[in-house]
Amino acid sequence: MTALPPPAPPLALLAVTGLEQSFGGVMALAGVSFRVAEGLIYAVIGPNGAGKTTLFNALCGFYRPSAGSIRFADRELLGLPPHRIAACGIGRTFQNLQLFFNMSVVENVMVGCHLRARASLLAAALRLPGVRRQERHLRAWSMEALELCELADRAAQPAGALPYGLMKRVEIARALAAKPRLLLLDEPAAGLNDTETLALRELIARIRASGVTVLLVEHHMPLVMGVSDRLLVLDYGSVLAEGTPADIQADPRVVAAYLGGAVSYAV
Amino acid sequence: MRLAGFYAFAATVALLPALFPDNYFVVVVGASAGLNVILAVGLNLLMGYAGQISLGHAAFFGLGAYASAILTTRFGWPSLLALAAGLIAAGLLAWAFARPILRLRGHYLAMATLGFGVIVHVIMVQATGWTGGPDGLAGVPPLDLFGWEVSGDLQWYGVIMAAALLAVWLSLNLVDSPVGRALRAVHGSEFAAQMMGVDTARAKTQAFVVSALFAAFAGSLFAHQQAFVSPDSFDLTVSVELVTMVVLGGLASTFGAACGAIALTLLQQALVVFEDYEMLIHGALLMAVMIFLPQGLFVGLTQAARRLGSALVRSRPSVAA
Amino acid sequence: MFEQVFQFLVTGITVGSLYALVGLGFALIYNASDVVNFAQGEFVMLGAMAAIALLSAGLPLPLAAVVATLLAVGVGLLLERFAIEPAAGASVVATIIITIGAAIFLRGIALLLWGKDFHTLPPFSGDAPIRLGGATVLPQSLWVLAATGVLVALVRAFFDRTLLGKALLACSFNRTAAQAVGINVKVMLRLAYGLSAGLGAVAGILIAPITFSSYEAGVMLGLKGFSAAIVGGIGNPMGAVAGGLLLGVLEALGAGLVSSGYKDAIAFLFVLMVLFFEPTGLFGHKVAERV
Repeated sequence: MTALPPPAPPLALLAVTGLEQSFGGVMALAGVSFRVAEGLIYAVIGPNGAGKTTLFNALCGFYRPSAGSIRFADRELLGLPPHRIAACGIGRTFQNLQLFFNMSVVENVMVGCHLRARASLLAAALRLPGVRRQERHLRAWSMEALELCELADRAAQPAGALPYGLMKRVEIARALAAKPRLLLLDEPAAGLNDTETLALRELIARIRASGVTVLLVEHHMPLVMGVSDRLLVLDYGSVLAEGTPADIQADPRVVAAYLGGAVSYAV
Repeated sequence: MRLAGFYAFAATVALLPALFPDNYFVVVVGASAGLNVILAVGLNLLMGYAGQISLGHAAFFGLGAYASAILTTRFGWPSLLALAAGLIAAGLLAWAFARPILRLRGHYLAMATLGFGVIVHVIMVQATGWTGGPDGLAGVPPLDLFGWEVSGDLQWYGVIMAAALLAVWLSLNLVDSPVGRALRAVHGSEFAAQMMGVDTARAKTQAFVVSALFAAFAGSLFAHQQAFVSPDSFDLTVSVELVTMVVLGGLASTFGAACGAIALTLLQQALVVFEDYEMLIHGALLMAVMIFLPQGLFVGLTQAARRLGSALVRSRPSVAA
Repeated sequence: MFEQVFQFLVTGITVGSLYALVGLGFALIYNASDVVNFAQGEFVMLGAMAAIALLSAGLPLPLAAVVATLLAVGVGLLLERFAIEPAAGASVVATIIITIGAAIFLRGIALLLWGKDFHTLPPFSGDAPIRLGGATVLPQSLWVLAATGVLVALVRAFFDRTLLGKALLACSFNRTAAQAVGINVKVMLRLAYGLSAGLGAVAGILIAPITFSSYEAGVMLGLKGFSAAIVGGIGNPMGAVAGGLLLGVLEALGAGLVSSGYKDAIAFLFVLMVLFFEPTGLFGHKVAERV
């Protein structure tokens, strides 16, 4: 990593520089740098253990990277706790489902609206008129997010009663309800069948069309190559390559280290 | 309707003494059940909704009781002012204690809250100058509500039940608000809750403080109703009973907690006739309910009823479809 | 002053040894089943009360002690079979209430069998105090120390040297994997309950000549044992032993130098302080959750 970083493209929403994270001597992230321009679908790929989820957890404040910087919309995120990072406009879904199984679908999404809600303990306990009015707004916003994810008819069901594929969608709806500028999707296609994956691809495109930048970690190559504008390839915690899907598929280093020759994907 | 259960509960509570006038079991046991409802509904906010165990909740119950007893008997404070002071003291103590303690998980949290409860109990026994020690404090004056002195079993029944209904109403409101959803989110997945912008430490603190306030409120009423307080009413056994009420009714249900409180109060009344066998039966029942109805009586039974209901609906020929 | 402190230390280590034995029992059961057994103190009480009863029924003391211990082991096995096994997979709160229910149940049995009176056991080898430097030591204290030392060494050897011990250890790390390599997890679970009931009972028999026993005697001892296990980092058997000794010594110093009425408060204050600064105990390992 001696080469100078390329000149900054305009409107980088997220700029990660020299991010380092180690666990007991193992470098999970060894100086990762990349930039994500606003409005893109940006994918992070790499073999298992390459540091993709670690990167997400570092971006969200679950880990404390030992060095580097995470600039998001001209704010430094490094060192902020997760709920403050969320307040800056970053939403995410989880590789292992982290749904609130103790709530209904719409309530899950209403928690997603938490950042847009204002209610003091006392006002909430007394259910003052302002709280009542706000509840109506929150419900309406949540229904919008559910409609975008084609889940509106499931709103009243307990989140735990949904099939797996729909649970993953509820996570997306919940993250969208916060109106984030950047949405982090951690392996959204894992465990989905082909039809569901196709629907997911459309959903990701719709999310981008609604003005949300998407950062995607995914193993499903046809989905990644088909939906992303740019890709970042991680290997052993370092950046192996960065570029458009066409660049990446043509990059011999990526082919050697990761794709193992089978690079022909119908896009 | 959101508050349908609440109105049904209120109507039952109001009708009981009318249907059974001068019935010791209704007014006296009822009042004691009402106090337990306040305690259980408050603790349920912390345990059922926020998912944090507390094995020391009797401490806050005791704090409210002793604040009222000490301030009214020794300093001649009006009872409502003493009640408010008790609430403030319990709230502040809970707030100060919440951050370090609620970082802990599972059995570590159980240990810390248990230890907290034991410490407060030891102080009640040992600080004889203030608390009267093991003998307690007698002669707590009656509750004075703006000139109306509450006296007699029926009046107390009314006051305590009104307070219990208030507790249920507040709890129902809280649960169905951004504050309550944040609590439930913390229970569901702390990671996801943080990513939704929920300050989890703050949410847990709020739950702890609110449940402490409910307990102190009940404690204050208890001190005036009994006209006497002693450490025995606030020891570890009581903390365990409170947890049992919440779990017995079914966690994460306000009415479940209320039903658990009423069920355990009645059970304890019923078990008294067994004298020396009381303890044995009490322990056996606790184990049996937790083994066979781990979701609790109320939640387990309502779910069974719901399943039965939907089975009946399905068996009827559908008209609109 | 120094002699006084030395005296407190002797008392503290004696009491701490008992906490260590009870804490060891907590750790064993927790390791095998993820359950904190709040009936652990009742094993202590049962051991003491049964030994006292058997002695007054005419059995010689050594035999009474052995039979009482075996009785407690039997109760431990029954507890596992009829209360813990049927509730497999229950939540933390549910298992806490089940074991508290079991504790109340066992206390109820003791109440029926032996009433509310206090009972005591004669010291194993007289009660002429031994002068040690400036302090006096009861012969029974030496019994406590020696027995604890032997038992802890045996438990250690059991885990380090025997296949059975290693199998039990394997269960504590990963039950599914242990099952996959052919370890009978159910048997291991019973072994853990039997073992910790036995340890508790021995602790009870050892302390019975020093303090009075009653049907309620197990409550506070159980809580202190739990504290020892927590301070040591729950699931770490030797941590529990260290935690127990530490707790006993601090409590004795607190009782002697500050106030004896507040000794329980001092002990729990110490536990709270440990948890505030080390949320997983002094010797517990920190586990990171995977997102």
